Amino acid sequence: MASTTTTNNNDPSHSQSQQQTQAQQPVTFTTSTPYPLPSQKFMIPLGWRRYQLSQLVNKALALDRGGNYDNAGGGARPVPFDFLVRGEILRGSLAEWCKEKGVGEEETLEIEYIESVMPPQKMFEFPHEDWVSAVSCYIPGLFLTTSYDGHLRAFDYAHNLAFDRAVHSAPVTSLCVVPFPSPSPSSSNMGEGGGEEGETYTIATASHDASAQILRVTLPSPSSSFNLNAKEKATAKGNGNGKAQSLATLYLHTAPIASVSANARGTRLITAGWDGLVGVWAWDGERVARDEVDVPVPVFGGVDGRDRKRRRVGAGAGGAGDGDGERGEGDGDGGMDGGRGKRKAPANVLKSHVGRVSKALFLGLEEGEGSEKAVSCGFDSTVRTWDVEYGLCIATINASEKPFLDLSPLSHAAPSSPLSSVLAVSTDRTMCMYDLRLPSSSSSTSALSSAATATFVHPSTPSCVASSGSGSGSGSGYQAITGAYDGVVRVWDVRSVKGAVASFKVGEEGKGKGRKVLSVDWARGLVGVAGEFGVEVWRVGEDGGVGGRV
Amino acid sequence: MAPLASGRKTIKRKQVDEDEDAVPPQQELRSNGALEMLSDEEDDGDASSDDGQVDEFPEIIDESDSEDSDYDEEEEEEDDEDEEDENEEEDEEDENEVDESETDADSDDSLHIFPKAKVVTSKITNQPKTVYPEIEPEYDSDSSTEDTPNRVGNVPMHWYDDMPHIGYDINGKKVLRPARGDELDKFLATVDDSSAWTSAFDKNTQSEKPLTSEELDLIRRLYAGENPDASYDPYEPTTEWFTGKGKEEIMPLSGALQPKRRWVPSKWEKQKVMKIVRAIRQGRILPSKPKSTAKFEPYAIWSEPSSSHPPPLPAPKPPLPTNAESYNPPEEYLPTEEERKAWEAQDPEDRERNFLPQKYSSLRLVPAYDRFVKERFFRQLDLYLAPRVQRVKLNIDPNSLIPKLPSPNSLKPFPNYRSLQFYHSNSRARCVSVSPDGAWVVSGDEGGVVSLWEIIVGREVKRWKFEGKIGSLAWCPRTDVSYFAVGIEDTIHFVIPPNIDPAVLSLTLTVLAPATLPPAPTTPSPVKWLTPPSASRSEDTPILTINLPPSTGLPTHFCWHRRGDYLASVSTGGQQGGVWIHQITRRHSQAPFKKIKGAVQSVLFHPLKPHFFVATQQYVRIYNLSEQKLVKTLMPGIKWISSMDVHPSGDHLIVGGYDRKLCWFDLELSEKPYKVLRYHSRAIRSLQFHPTYPLFASSSDDGSIQIFHSRVYNDLMTDPLIVPLKILRGHTVTDGLGVLQVRWCSKQPWLVSSAADGSVAVWCS
Repeated sequence: MASTTTTNNNDPSHSQSQQQTQAQQPVTFTTSTPYPLPSQKFMIPLGWRRYQLSQLVNKALALDRGGNYDNAGGGARPVPFDFLVRGEILRGSLAEWCKEKGVGEEETLEIEYIESVMPPQKMFEFPHEDWVSAVSCYIPGLFLTTSYDGHLRAFDYAHNLAFDRAVHSAPVTSLCVVPFPSPSPSSSNMGEGGGEEGETYTIATASHDASAQILRVTLPSPSSSFNLNAKEKATAKGNGNGKAQSLATLYLHTAPIASVSANARGTRLITAGWDGLVGVWAWDGERVARDEVDVPVPVFGGVDGRDRKRRRVGAGAGGAGDGDGERGEGDGDGGMDGGRGKRKAPANVLKSHVGRVSKALFLGLEEGEGSEKAVSCGFDSTVRTWDVEYGLCIATINASEKPFLDLSPLSHAAPSSPLSSVLAVSTDRTMCMYDLRLPSSSSSTSALSSAATATFVHPSTPSCVASSGSGSGSGSGYQAITGAYDGVVRVWDVRSVKGAVASFKVGEEGKGKGRKVLSVDWARGLVGVAGEFGVEVWRVGEDGGVGGRV
Repeated sequence: MAPLASGRKTIKRKQVDEDEDAVPPQQELRSNGALEMLSDEEDDGDASSDDGQVDEFPEIIDESDSEDSDYDEEEEEEDDEDEEDENEEEDEEDENEVDESETDADSDDSLHIFPKAKVVTSKITNQPKTVYPEIEPEYDSDSSTEDTPNRVGNVPMHWYDDMPHIGYDINGKKVLRPARGDELDKFLATVDDSSAWTSAFDKNTQSEKPLTSEELDLIRRLYAGENPDASYDPYEPTTEWFTGKGKEEIMPLSGALQPKRRWVPSKWEKQKVMKIVRAIRQGRILPSKPKSTAKFEPYAIWSEPSSSHPPPLPAPKPPLPTNAESYNPPEEYLPTEEERKAWEAQDPEDRERNFLPQKYSSLRLVPAYDRFVKERFFRQLDLYLAPRVQRVKLNIDPNSLIPKLPSPNSLKPFPNYRSLQFYHSNSRARCVSVSPDGAWVVSGDEGGVVSLWEIIVGREVKRWKFEGKIGSLAWCPRTDVSYFAVGIEDTIHFVIPPNIDPAVLSLTLTVLAPATLPPAPTTPSPVKWLTPPSASRSEDTPILTINLPPSTGLPTHFCWHRRGDYLASVSTGGQQGGVWIHQITRRHSQAPFKKIKGAVQSVLFHPLKPHFFVATQQYVRIYNLSEQKLVKTLMPGIKWISSMDVHPSGDHLIVGGYDRKLCWFDLELSEKPYKVLRYHSRAIRSLQFHPTYPLFASSSDDGSIQIFHSRVYNDLMTDPLIVPLKILRGHTVTDGLGVLQVRWCSKQPWLVSSAADGSVAVWCS
């Protein structure tokens, strides 16, 4: 299922390499991990593979306390490393690599080592009736999914369907968890402490019906969850017993909304629509901080039941959104229509895209208040950086003929530096890394160099990308995962452009269902993969008890 | 000729002299023209002078009596000669009488240029002896070259008339012209010099030159009409060749008469000839039969002398064996397993060596050479006809035969892979249409299902179910409204997709289902426009329905005018001609053609002009709708047209046919196709130009889609550039049907294709 480096201890080439120890290669090691080796030249036998090199680094740094790590007992465990030789992960022996590249024994190889990625392991599986358009692992212990049937679902680690509610009449395309605004931007508390019933979260969803909603979802306490078989539970329909309250409905777009996301402090939301608009919304936790606007009500057919309700809601919009939380407790199949919140106008509309905007998100925190930046990508092959306050396009990256499908920021390990790069996937089967740092000379809106820093080629359309959670993992800041329409999720290290570090297939063959991956999310070592097949959760990155590998 | 000329001159000179002298012979000379008649007189003259000597030639008189004159002349010459001799050789005067007697005996030798030897009786021995005259070196020696100092050669001497000299001597010195006196001097010279009248003017020396006695004799002979050769004897004695003793003929010729049979035709020969004639007539003898019965005659080819060609090259020598040929070669010569396989896989002619090294531990174990006979045979061929037929490899670079087209990589973007697939269950996906904003796809199948799905995700968002096959789908090109037309049997439905903007939705509703219907046309139309009452409207049912006349058939082709108000539909399968143009705002349908020849396959609105393309089975006709007349008829040369599309510029048209041909028309040019592409192996089903990118695609029953780059230049002189870019394969052929329709996404270089296997694929760049 996973194709990663070999971990075979009884490697035949190992013994063979000891026979021909005369062939050696001068090598220097560099790293960006917290385990640096002294910069000196090592003579490495050519027959060595990743395993021996990793052992060498561990021994040299005494990470495994004397080499015998089996009975090391205490907390020190050997750290497995992967080795990058000229931007390529070493898969076979050094001799094979040298032979393939035609490198002689006289040249000094510079090998960068990174902490190895564990072979991904499948953790859970949540089958869905319909395609799942988005998944979020943001909340610990909970997976949120939105589906094409308009439902928002939540699963906990015990495979329980914690919440299931139809939130839109049209397919839901995107989902984000809005952190509660807090005075300190560093602490990101996403749960609201919970009332007597359970924890409460604020969730924003975007839909094909050209609207986005902000919901307050109250989940029941874990104790009250059913104790049934996980699978039954997950497939059971409509037994989520949480409460949902629509706080606001965001009307700006005239076409389906592709994505919605919030900034880290939960003070702003940004939506990207198919009509080329990017909407920025101020949010104070309770209300969209703008006045309500009157929205033209669709009058399809006049007497359609759903539209009649919608019109009634539009007529009585003032009173409907005033926090009657119990209205969200209706039946799971359509009760949300009654619980529409306020219709709010956006704080700012960013207009520059000429095609569909596929993703918009806020860039990371910045110290100076009021200069928050957002980045968006669209089908017009541009990645645009915005000043959110003034609604200006600061910089534009013009890629040629690359309709971008998804975007993910890539925060390098150093937390002090602001966000510098983004990864964008496009329909020409590539993932490109773009540097967002402005050239120092330019002042205002300027075109960034449109050349991608690195290009990662996929065999199929990559539909979604997610980078590892900021600052949490060992390899974080350099790793990203992409999900593609061929049902393969690939783990990339941006320093190794030649191939994926690891990949795994999701969705089972022969079920008559497609295997398209539509959304991935990666947090705390857990990767949620959503697509045609439902949702799968894999453990990637953090060691998570996968021992025996150095 | 020079001597002759000089001779004549001499004669002339003589005449002049005679005239001057007024001597009696003047009469003879004057009657020169009747030379023969006067010969008698001359004879008489001569005879009178030489009477005494006639008697001394008794034999001659006996034999010939008619030639007296000749004889006399001879005698005269002899006399002259003798006189001269006497003048010159005075010391022989004493022997003259003896000489004369002997000269008479052999008169043949009477005339000699050189002094002849004389036989005299020695006074001492009384024996005859031959006495030769003394030779004077000054005159008698042959020094003819010395006495003419002028060496200019035989050139006309009048060239030197104006010169002081008359030529050059042997040393290159000028020969000065001798002084010539006047007429008095001449006269005096003739008086003084007795030989002046026998001298002639020598042009070469420009002086008078006395004629020699030989020359004078020659002149005389010519004058007398005799043979000029003095040694010629007309009276030689005969030589008996055939008569006389011992000369009789041994086999005398018969004097008998010829027998009669010599000139009477032979009957026997006639019989033989008639036999052959009959055989030829009956065909037993073929007159023009090739002589195949000629026996082969061996001849020695080597006996011919060597030709001028270079000798043939010596036969090649077999190479000497090396280590590899050894029965026990060193290990490094043994082939590895890969080399052995590669060697065996190679063509025998391409092998570097015609054997594989093998190792045997001892010579005893070496088997017999298996290719001995063959190798000897080829060796013999080498020796026998050493230049065997050489395989001349074509030296044409195959790349040079390929037309120079730009690389497809430089013409990106174009669709080159299948991004996703959408499946219709168990029925053929007949038609597909992409929304004008390029975000949505509707696809219809033969089961009556119309699905609406996102082009980039492939998730079905909405599904409509109709009765009967879906023949055609077309999204309205207007961007301010959003609906599409669905064609099923005898009916066209108009459907609004869900989840559209309220403003768009309201406008769409006013377009399709206005509150106040436009006035009905005055003439009753067989086409009924139906809008369900507002109470029963829903997203699942069509908002507007056009009921075509019954038995019109299935609308298989829709074409929107670019403004989105007119929709042309082509129905096939019905009895009537199924071309209708529907105007949405007026809710009115009209048939533009009362009667049309042939079954209409496809219609198109010109993107810019009020022109209307109608493709029947074999022709494409262009009508001007505003002027109501035929503009042009295009003849693609296709047996059965299946589809056509017009370039967004309106100047080019592509037509595809069921006979695999794709024709590109330049409408500015002729009605014959500019280019005919025949790249599909089965019938072409659908083709379309991309609205913005320079691309067009064609789909075929062979299950493939072909993408072409088609750049059209504004410059009328530049031909359109058509480059085949990509063949997209992935649809399976079901029941002989392949890809039924292709449509482009308007904003991106993406292609949507629907196939008979029920799948609809999106091809991305």
